[in-house]
Amino acid sequence: MDPAEVEFLAEKETVKIIPNFSLDKVYLIGGDLGPFNPGLPVDVPVWLALNLKQRQKCRIVPPAWMDVDKLEEMRDLERKEDAFMPVPSPHYMELTKLLLNYASDNIPKADEIRTLVKDIWDTRVAKLRLSADSFITQAEAHAKLDNLTLMEINTIRSFFLDSLNCMYKLRSNMQPSGDSKGHFNDY
Amino acid sequence: MDTQSYLPVQPGVGMEENFLSLDDILLSQERLPARTECAFPRLGFLEKSTDNPDIVEGTKMELPLWLSKGLYDRKRRVLSVELPKVYREGWRTVFNADPNVVDLHKMGPYYYGLGSQMLHFDCPENTEIGQTLLQTFIGRFRRNMDSSQNAYNEDTSALVERLDTLEKALFRSGQSGLNSFQSWEKGQASQITASALVLNYRKRKITDMQQ
Repeated sequence: MDPAEVEFLAEKETVKIIPNFSLDKVYLIGGDLGPFNPGLPVDVPVWLALNLKQRQKCRIVPPAWMDVDKLEEMRDLERKEDAFMPVPSPHYMELTKLLLNYASDNIPKADEIRTLVKDIWDTRVAKLRLSADSFITQAEAHAKLDNLTLMEINTIRSFFLDSLNCMYKLRSNMQPSGDSKGHFNDY
Repeated sequence: MDTQSYLPVQPGVGMEENFLSLDDILLSQERLPARTECAFPRLGFLEKSTDNPDIVEGTKMELPLWLSKGLYDRKRRVLSVELPKVYREGWRTVFNADPNVVDLHKMGPYYYGLGSQMLHFDCPENTEIGQTLLQTFIGRFRRNMDSSQNAYNEDTSALVERLDTLEKALFRSGQSGLNSFQSWEKGQASQITASALVLNYRKRKITDMQQ
């Protein structure tokens, strides 16, 4: 899966905007987009919010978790614990990148937020690598990881699956199937 | 992220080889020390060290894997294969002590593959060889993962030169995951660039057409 595909899936999350135009309720296949009145906040998907923002038709309200103090708390909690902490939003990385790229004027202390989110990301990815390593070293059969986001899983997916395949190949050396031992297929 | 227009055939699983896999074909070129159990008349030209027109019984020769596998028989009338140095007791203790130190590329670039194939020739040490292969892989996994996931935009030749072919493929997939994430984060994922296929075809570049 590309990171671009994960970002596409992340754009389905809703975010609050304050439009400066008015429009009646729009009925789309995916759901209804409530009536737009200038100055009144309304919940829309991120893809629409970014589009409106680029056309200068709205102002984006940062989500509740995108606040310096809250993110600092989350970062410290993440560093203290060994397990994965509940995540501010299932697509926090993508939302941070999108909102801070397109709407940084609506978000106070954008640079600090970017740094904090990057810290949280680095901590979580380090924990993920640690648990992947212990999974392979102890040759476990199952692992359960809570609170992982799709983006984190995506970065490690291809490497991890390939190495598990290699381990399977090496392991199957030790249990040869009964009829293949000593017989070689003629092609 | 670039997707290839074809997917190469993967090497085979465990003791089997994939007929069409290039990695397996190259692997089967590795030479093994072997001892003939019966005479091969009129094949003396294969054994360069003597001028004998036949190969007598008991000659020690180096045969490639594909030939050894084909001639090997359970009743062992034809050939008996010895383990290469790398899979013997001495080296196995080195691998068990610290797998990270060893230069697997020098030990034959197909350490894991050849080791899996050696299990076809019934040696008394087969189970230990299988276990050593697995433990070496597990021991080196941590370092491979860290180096492939953290080396962004650097010259990786120093990291890669000590890896076996299998580990090199893993390294590449780790690097591609890292590169695609970093390029997404920089915003290059949404930039439109000419496809590699089109550039190679060299008919569509507007600069060429204007000249």
